[in-house]
Amino acid sequence: MSTMFELRNLTAAVPGEAGPVRLVEDVSLQVQAGETLAIVGESGSGKTVTFTSALGLLPKPGRVIAGQALLEGEDLLQLSPDALRRRRGARIGMVFQDPLTGLNPVFRIGDQISEVLRAHLPISRAEARERAIALLARVQIPDPTRRVDDYPHQFSGGMRQRVLIAMAIALGPRVLIADEPTTALDVTVQAQVLDLLTDLREADGMAMVLITHDLGVVARQADRVAVMYAGRVAETGLVEEVFRAPRHPYTISLFRSIPDLESPAGTKLAPISGAPPDPARRPAGCAFAPRCFAMREDAGCLHERPSLTSDHHAVACLRAGLLEVAS
Amino acid sequence: MILYLARCAAQFAVALVGIVTVAFFLMRAIPGDPALYMLGDFATAEALATLRARLGLDLPIWQQYGVFLLRAAQGDMGVSVVTGQSALAEIWAAVPPSATLAVAGMAIAICFGVPLGIIAAVRQGSAVDLAVMLLALGGISFPVFWLGLVAILTLSHALGLFPALGATSEPGFWKGLHHLALPALVLGLSVAAYIARLTRSAMLEILGQDFIRVARAMGVPERRIVWHLAFRNALIPVLAVIGVTFAWSLGNAILVEAVFSRPGLGSTILKAILSRDYQLVQAGVLVLAAAVVLLNTALDLIYGAIDPRLRRS
Repeated sequence: MSTMFELRNLTAAVPGEAGPVRLVEDVSLQVQAGETLAIVGESGSGKTVTFTSALGLLPKPGRVIAGQALLEGEDLLQLSPDALRRRRGARIGMVFQDPLTGLNPVFRIGDQISEVLRAHLPISRAEARERAIALLARVQIPDPTRRVDDYPHQFSGGMRQRVLIAMAIALGPRVLIADEPTTALDVTVQAQVLDLLTDLREADGMAMVLITHDLGVVARQADRVAVMYAGRVAETGLVEEVFRAPRHPYTISLFRSIPDLESPAGTKLAPISGAPPDPARRPAGCAFAPRCFAMREDAGCLHERPSLTSDHHAVACLRAGLLEVAS
Repeated sequence: MILYLARCAAQFAVALVGIVTVAFFLMRAIPGDPALYMLGDFATAEALATLRARLGLDLPIWQQYGVFLLRAAQGDMGVSVVTGQSALAEIWAAVPPSATLAVAGMAIAICFGVPLGIIAAVRQGSAVDLAVMLLALGGISFPVFWLGLVAILTLSHALGLFPALGATSEPGFWKGLHHLALPALVLGLSVAAYIARLTRSAMLEILGQDFIRVARAMGVPERRIVWHLAFRNALIPVLAVIGVTFAWSLGNAILVEAVFSRPGLGSTILKAILSRDYQLVQAGVLVLAAAVVLLNTALDLIYGAIDPRLRRS
């Protein structure tokens, strides 16, 4: 297996009153060909910012202040804006959260797909249209020859997400980043869209990054998972490993906070108390310390920022080793 | 579609009747008497009464209104009391120079306002943005007659680039265009200011939308995103402001015509008001109102062509 996409120590920030405010800090991740890496974490944990900044899509005045984003070994952050544009969409595709606002309301579906094709390929309108129809068929939109001339408002939410997926895979990218692709959809449609993404990934051998906050989705669709908290990776490893034996107190708390069919009736869910820290006021030590059940002052939790271990199932917690012994 | 056109026609008729009615009563509400104006201050009471009877002015006002509406419905807007010509024909003769000015002004306004607004939006917060917005503020704040006088003093008097007179009797397209340039520029720039401001805010809103982020993520070139994908969305509010400012610029055209001594609807209607030429004023108001309503109806149809969600089934 070869590494398709890799982030190395990525740090992105926005200017603040007291120097740059780091939205994501020192994020290192990698995803192999044919593999799905799930990124989980609560809202504001930096899941989306990590990947928009890697693609040069972070809205101003945000910017990447350190790190690398390697697409098949090439650092995207060193490219000129135009070179980066030519990689985006062509070699790395992205699907966003809300399909209802993701399509341009005043252009036909076919024209929007053609726009993407023609941004990268020297093909005629007619040719682009043919390919758009083929792509609509590929994402299982019924009657694509007729639907290609419809406008976004004539499609349901699930169908619109299929159109956006068609745009994202239009040029056969090696990496597909799906940012909460099903959050805005009905539950019944969610599974269909996720299955479609998995089928496409398998057929094309793409590497997929699936950003989600749904642990059920992670269990079903992903090979590996990275748990993010307050702009950093808290824990990462194979899905089975992380689900069987979570090492970071945050991950452990996450599992305790979701209902489980196998737990005895009457078991209470344990919500994580408190709220994630404001990026401008992160604690000096571990960002999770104020909410952590395992926090111990004498372990340095309040002063020392834990770094991610380098083993296969990596964790960023000063108490991780002790916790395992205890349990 | 037929139903839609029928509804448009009905709205058009109602709007015109309303506007003409207001004009009818307003003209009669202001002091003054057309008979007195025609015969002069030394006319005998008897001569005045005869003329008033001939003009139908001795009838009760409701009766006058009824007669007026009945005739107007048949396309007869009466006869100018000053010239004795058909009022509609006289107004119609003044339309071409005014229409030329209005269209030229609108063209200048769109050609300057839309691109400047887009550039200001793309470079939000830059010196270019600030310059465009200051210019637009000036265009909105300074009254058009003042701009006209400044234009005459600078471009015409000091630099000699354009004639100060807004019209010429000499034949020739280029000659006419040379004279039209200054009034059209003054009229156009004041409207351009509105269009630039609105285009800027519309573009800023559109450029922040999700589908623009999607297009960027798909590698669509920025130039294409701004001038094609975003612009078509911004076109609806821009066209709407063009529709609104058109009515407003017809009012400004009257001032511009006066500043540049240009013939047209403005001077014709102004003269008619001063001489209490009721029929001529009513015909003029009818033509102006029809132009505004027609333009807005046309814009309604264009909206549907741009945005499928606004299409009526």
